[in-house]
Amino acid sequence: MFGLIMAGCVIGLALPLRVAAEVSEADFNALKDTVQKLGEQVQALQQSNVVQQQTHEQDTQQIQQLQQKLAETQQIATNAEQKSIEASMTQPMPRQPIDEATVNHNFMMLGDAEFQYAKLAGQHGAFLQADFAPIFLYRGGDNILFEAGFDTTLANNAPGNSGYTTTFNLSFAQLDYVMNDYMTFAGGELILPLGTYTERGAGWLNKIPDNPLAVDALLPGSGLGAELRGGVPVGAAGKSLNYEVYVVNGPGSSDTTGTSGSAGNLDLGGNVGVRSDGVTANLHGHPSGGARLGFFMPFKPHYDLELGISGQSGEWDDAGDHLWSAGVFDAALHLGPSFEAKGEYILTRYGSDDLGTHSQQGWWVQAGYKLAGLDLELPIINNLEIMGRYDSLHDVYDPNNNAFDFKTQRYTVGYVYYFTNTLLFEGDYEFVNSNDPSQADQLIFQLSLGF
Amino acid sequence: MSKLKPLKALAQIIFVAVAAAVMIGALASTLCSAAPTSGAPPSKTDSTVSTNSVAVKAQASEAAPPVLKPQLTGAELYSMHCNRCHPERYPTERTAAQWKTIMLHMQVRANIPGNQARLILQYLQDNSGR
Ligand code: HEC
Repeated sequence: MFGLIMAGCVIGLALPLRVAAEVSEADFNALKDTVQKLGEQVQALQQSNVVQQQTHEQDTQQIQQLQQKLAETQQIATNAEQKSIEASMTQPMPRQPIDEATVNHNFMMLGDAEFQYAKLAGQHGAFLQADFAPIFLYRGGDNILFEAGFDTTLANNAPGNSGYTTTFNLSFAQLDYVMNDYMTFAGGELILPLGTYTERGAGWLNKIPDNPLAVDALLPGSGLGAELRGGVPVGAAGKSLNYEVYVVNGPGSSDTTGTSGSAGNLDLGGNVGVRSDGVTANLHGHPSGGARLGFFMPFKPHYDLELGISGQSGEWDDAGDHLWSAGVFDAALHLGPSFEAKGEYILTRYGSDDLGTHSQQGWWVQAGYKLAGLDLELPIINNLEIMGRYDSLHDVYDPNNNAFDFKTQRYTVGYVYYFTNTLLFEGDYEFVNSNDPSQADQLIFQLSLGF
Repeated sequence: MSKLKPLKALAQIIFVAVAAAVMIGALASTLCSAAPTSGAPPSKTDSTVSTNSVAVKAQASEAAPPVLKPQLTGAELYSMHCNRCHPERYPTERTAAQWKTIMLHMQVRANIPGNQARLILQYLQDNSGR
């Protein structure tokens, strides 16, 4: 202690009066002020802290209240659920929602739209028709698909009449159930796999605005019935065997006068069920059966050949005395992305009361070459495909003579201009050689959009 | 009418000649380019008309098999199947979810075996628009 005091004195002496002189009164007061202010600030902070603590307590209380309410609501919900489960025990199971089931995902509207301008030899050119053909797809899970296609066409009545007619058709409406990798069941209004043209002929798929003559004249496009179809891989290089086997109501007789078996009464699209007046007179007793077997052989991407053979047979007249049968051979070839050729040979044969049994036949081949394949690097040329088709029809029923004597040959040359892969502008000229007065040379243009 | 006959005959001859020329030309040009040696630049014929195709097509043709492979890829199967019946529809045109529905439609319509359809779907979804 003494030492400390001594040291203090020594320091006091050693730091001469300079320190005492420097801490003036003013400085001291300023320091005091600062200390006071600091004190006030600390007090203010303490106060606000108290306020915050109060708020926090209030919040906690509120949260507790909310939790309580939530618990009550959950209780109510659970009770309701239990009640509804009890109630539904007696009802069928409700439908389960699918994972990504939204309107945009498993329901789609697709299809195509066309409009045509045509000039028949000897007549004025005209905008011939507008066509809107939507397709609705509904996917009900991983392996169930409902597909329906409509065809709404507005067409000039020319040349026979004035005005125009709007038609609305159900082209197909089928439920597909993919049973396994190799087999699908389809039921409903089916596009018939007689050849491949009909199944692969939607507007923007066609490279020529109208159908091959034999397809329109000789084959039914669709039928009401059930089908098994699928594909089986052959080897590891992508080859596959594909098949369809089906039963449909089949063709009927358009008879209204009791001569159901006359050759002229064959109605390829007929016979969809009980007549609207409840009479089944127009229906024969048995359905028609049909099948197609195809072999798809890809050599490498863009190079492939597909061959197919198909047929259908069944009675067509009301009495069930006569058979209508068809056999079709189809082929399609791709040699690179630019060249495609395909064709079909169609033979149909049917019996009748008045004309006996007759065969009608026809065939067509079509080839297209995309000029992009020439490597010219010219903008317009690159979007063009040059088309050619040959059609032949023999011994087709002629209602004017009630005989099988119509013969038609048709050569079609034209182009497809691709604005995009689904917006096609087609132009064709058809040279016709026929004893059927309804056939004439014509020039057709068509704008077609697939969506 | 009879005046038209020679015209028609001429048109038919021209038609047959053009068709034959087109077929022979196509055959010749494809046969010439049909045997690509590995490492050769992808042949121009593979880039077709459409505008939004370029990237996708390039990918697909790069994936073309040089030698035997145990299993075909989705890209290869896509380029084997998806331009058979109509102009190619590119993966970027649709969303992954839309492809699921469309592929089911195409699997049924084209009788594509299920395992191939799954590989193609995967390829379409991996490269889809969104
Ligand atoms: C057997 C012929 C065929 C093959 C092969 C084919 N398609 Fe299609 N595709 C069609 C037909 C026919 C339509 C038109 C719709 C219809 O008529 O139901 C179509 C329509 C489409 C559409 C329009 C949307 C729709 O569903 O209608 C898309 C996209 C499409 N195809 C993509 C593909 C893809 C991708 C592939 C390759 C797996 C493919 N197609 C292979 C026949 C085929």
